[in-house]
Amino acid sequence: MKGINEKDIYTFVDAVSNFFLHATQEKVEIKTAYLLENDVPSSTFDLTSYITLSGDFTGRIYFSAPRTMLTHLLLVMGEQTRDNERLLDAAGEIANTISGNARKHFGETMEISVPTAQATEPDWLKTVVSPHSYVILIKWKHYRASVVVDIQRAGTEAKD
Amino acid sequence: MDRKQSIFLKYRKIIFAVILFMVADSIVIGINFYNTYKADESAVSINLSGRQRMMSQRMTKALLTLNRSLEAEDDKGISGSLKELTLTVRRFDRTLMGFRDGSMVTGGDDNPQFLTQVETDESRGFVETAYRIWTPYMERLKPLLNSDRDSFLDEGLKQKLADPGTLEDIKSKFNKEEIFSDEEFRKKLEEIKNDPDKFAADLKVAVDFALGKNEVLGNEMHNNQALLKLMNDLTTDLEHVANRRAATLRIVLVVGILFALVNFGYTVVISIRDLMKGDRELGMARQETAEILSTVREGLFLLDKAKRIGTQFSESLPHILRRDIVPGMDFLPHLEAIAPRNIYEAAMDYIDLLLGDRVKESLVTSLNPLTNVPILVTDPRGNTQTRYLSFFFNRVIAEEEIAHLLVTVQDVTDKVVLAQQVEQAKNQAKVEIETLLRLASSDFEALQRFIENVGESLSQINEKMSAPHDEARDRLHTLNYIMRIVHGIKGESAVLGIDVLESYAHECEKEMVTMRENEETLSGDQMLRVAVLLEGFYQRHSSLAQIVSRLGNAMGRAQQSGGTADWTPQKHPFADHITALAQRIATDHGKQIEVSCQFERFFSLPKATVKELQDISIQLVRNSLAHGIETPDKRTRFNKPATGALSLWCEYLGHGQYTFTVRDDGCGIVPERLREHFVKKHIMSAEEAASLSDDEIANRIFQPGISTAETADQDSGHGIGLDAVLEKVRTMGGYMLVKSRPDQFTEFSIQFNTVHRGQNNETPDRR
Repeated sequence: MKGINEKDIYTFVDAVSNFFLHATQEKVEIKTAYLLENDVPSSTFDLTSYITLSGDFTGRIYFSAPRTMLTHLLLVMGEQTRDNERLLDAAGEIANTISGNARKHFGETMEISVPTAQATEPDWLKTVVSPHSYVILIKWKHYRASVVVDIQRAGTEAKD
Repeated sequence: MDRKQSIFLKYRKIIFAVILFMVADSIVIGINFYNTYKADESAVSINLSGRQRMMSQRMTKALLTLNRSLEAEDDKGISGSLKELTLTVRRFDRTLMGFRDGSMVTGGDDNPQFLTQVETDESRGFVETAYRIWTPYMERLKPLLNSDRDSFLDEGLKQKLADPGTLEDIKSKFNKEEIFSDEEFRKKLEEIKNDPDKFAADLKVAVDFALGKNEVLGNEMHNNQALLKLMNDLTTDLEHVANRRAATLRIVLVVGILFALVNFGYTVVISIRDLMKGDRELGMARQETAEILSTVREGLFLLDKAKRIGTQFSESLPHILRRDIVPGMDFLPHLEAIAPRNIYEAAMDYIDLLLGDRVKESLVTSLNPLTNVPILVTDPRGNTQTRYLSFFFNRVIAEEEIAHLLVTVQDVTDKVVLAQQVEQAKNQAKVEIETLLRLASSDFEALQRFIENVGESLSQINEKMSAPHDEARDRLHTLNYIMRIVHGIKGESAVLGIDVLESYAHECEKEMVTMRENEETLSGDQMLRVAVLLEGFYQRHSSLAQIVSRLGNAMGRAQQSGGTADWTPQKHPFADHITALAQRIATDHGKQIEVSCQFERFFSLPKATVKELQDISIQLVRNSLAHGIETPDKRTRFNKPATGALSLWCEYLGHGQYTFTVRDDGCGIVPERLREHFVKKHIMSAEEAASLSDDEIANRIFQPGISTAETADQDSGHGIGLDAVLEKVRTMGGYMLVKSRPDQFTEFSIQFNTVHRGQNNETPDRR
């Protein structure tokens, strides 16, 4: 049992949603959600950022998006520099927003790492996340990105 | 302590100061009034004593003038002097008497007024001394005036005072007393004329006395001068008395005013101090109230008799009620909007009961219908949630009357949900134990298949969900797909008696039906909800798989061994019952029978189905032993074991499909023998029997009223056997196959499906 509920998951999705709303005045839309398994797409995109949680909950929250989407995001935000490093920074900023929301939601006792961002190969997420982690597929403009929630409450055994 | 006492205690200092002020003021006013009165008296006394001085001299002057007029035989002078003498003597005498005794005298304005007795010893001394001169002087004046002073000074005055009449009357009478009447005066003048010597002698005596040496004071003064001095001294003393009184009055006034000022200052200081203290306390109380109302998590407010919300309520109230609250607004419309109808109506009665004074509050507390009231709220995402509120009412009593109801509203959602979770966990544990027991008596292979199937189904759901859903119709399509699979899992779980999955599937179904109702607005948020439900499915599936695996391990049947099942499920109690029944019937019919039963599947079937199968079993067993199984002799003749064999078993075919079979190795169903029997029993004619095919003849045994028994007994021959069995099979939604071979066996095989029974026939795609 993961010991997390819908409200916990929304904490992370809302963080991404709010980031886009404030940065671009455009909402992010949830397209679907599912559990990560072998036979389903991993929704790993070009660049992925994540934070690591420890405390009452342990695990990671990932944000993965195509390079084009982040480039477009920087463009809308009026950024002049849109090189690879800046794109990773943008992905990291989004992970940082998730971190802020998580701290607010789970309390100050939660330990949250600084965001990490990296370029990722297709299906990279399948190699790093626990089975049956939540994948929430979101859409901004015509781009798709994913928020992957791979956390469990401390003391609960991850099965699957 | 009642309210009046409380008010008195609160303002006691101010009340005391005011009372003190009033008392002191009254005293000052009283003293002032008394002194004013005394000042009036003093003014009269001083005025009249001054007049006495003047009168003493006018009197002496009149005497001397009269003497000179008499010597000059001046009648006019005599008349005038006599009149003056009479007036001054009488006024002096009466005024002196007033000083001594206090009496009515002629005032300075010729009006009568009361002259008070002198008060001081000195004054009294002056008056007494004056009398000592005046009395002999008066004795000498009397012959001149020809009048008795007592007659008009004492008695006459008393009479006038006893019947004073009007003021004018008093004036008139007074004046007449002080002067001669015309008649008296005329007589007196005639008397003087007739005997001038006597009058001259009397006059000389009086003049001599007036100008004679005074013996009372013992100095060189004349009596006339002594009287002047005494009246002068009297006047001076009266003035001193008046001055002292005025000084006293001034002191009293100054003290009174000072006291009043001090008292006023004290009152003001006390009042301001109390006001400031009151303001401070009120401010603190207001601040504390505001802090309480802004901090308290419960919704607090007062409800008046008109059921209006008071002006003060806690900040959390609008949030808890999810409504805007305005002071003074009606409470009931809000309650009506959030509470279910029946609870709202009960609440109205309850509130009326509390606002009335017919019942004790403690007696009706348990009737409060507004506890754990479910209300529907919409969250910022537009999703509807159920929250639970509890309202508590307490009477607020003021002056022995119910003034308000204090209403406390609590959001008890967490508590209610926790209680539900605890209850759910209890049920869950119970269900899991029951599931475990049921699984322990189930077909292991079937269980394994089920677990695998469910796993596959869940993966299919997840795969379907992983596709992007751009449109609401895509999501609707996926939702329908998921619902079909979940429905299938629910059915299979029901068949196997796995309540934990069945109930969860049911909950999921209910939730998805609600989502589907608004298909236009099916959003990605709801897909996330479905994903959460799916995760719950996976958790339960995983737990179940572990239980099954452990069961397998416990029985030395590791799943990975791949061997065939050596599963020895628990024996169903009906097996013993039907065996005993069969033995009894066999004995009754002189037959021998060996019964074998496999009813373990009964454990996973619905109770109603089991009941029907048991009824069918009983009928078919009776049928077999009455018509199928032969007697031992007959069986021996046919080279069969003397003991007949009767088998009953229930099998699961998969997908909710079952078969229940009753087989005997008896004589079988032989159409030719049936024809003979029917003709013999007049059930049909020989022609009819001949015209029917073998199948048609065989089918006749299922018709009502048809029996193949030679005689009716407890077990057969009533013609109500196989038709009843057929009816039950139809009721179960199944069908029956009959196989038979003459003198070898008869097999009744009933096939039925528990999954689709009484449900819609949605079948998952994968099937």
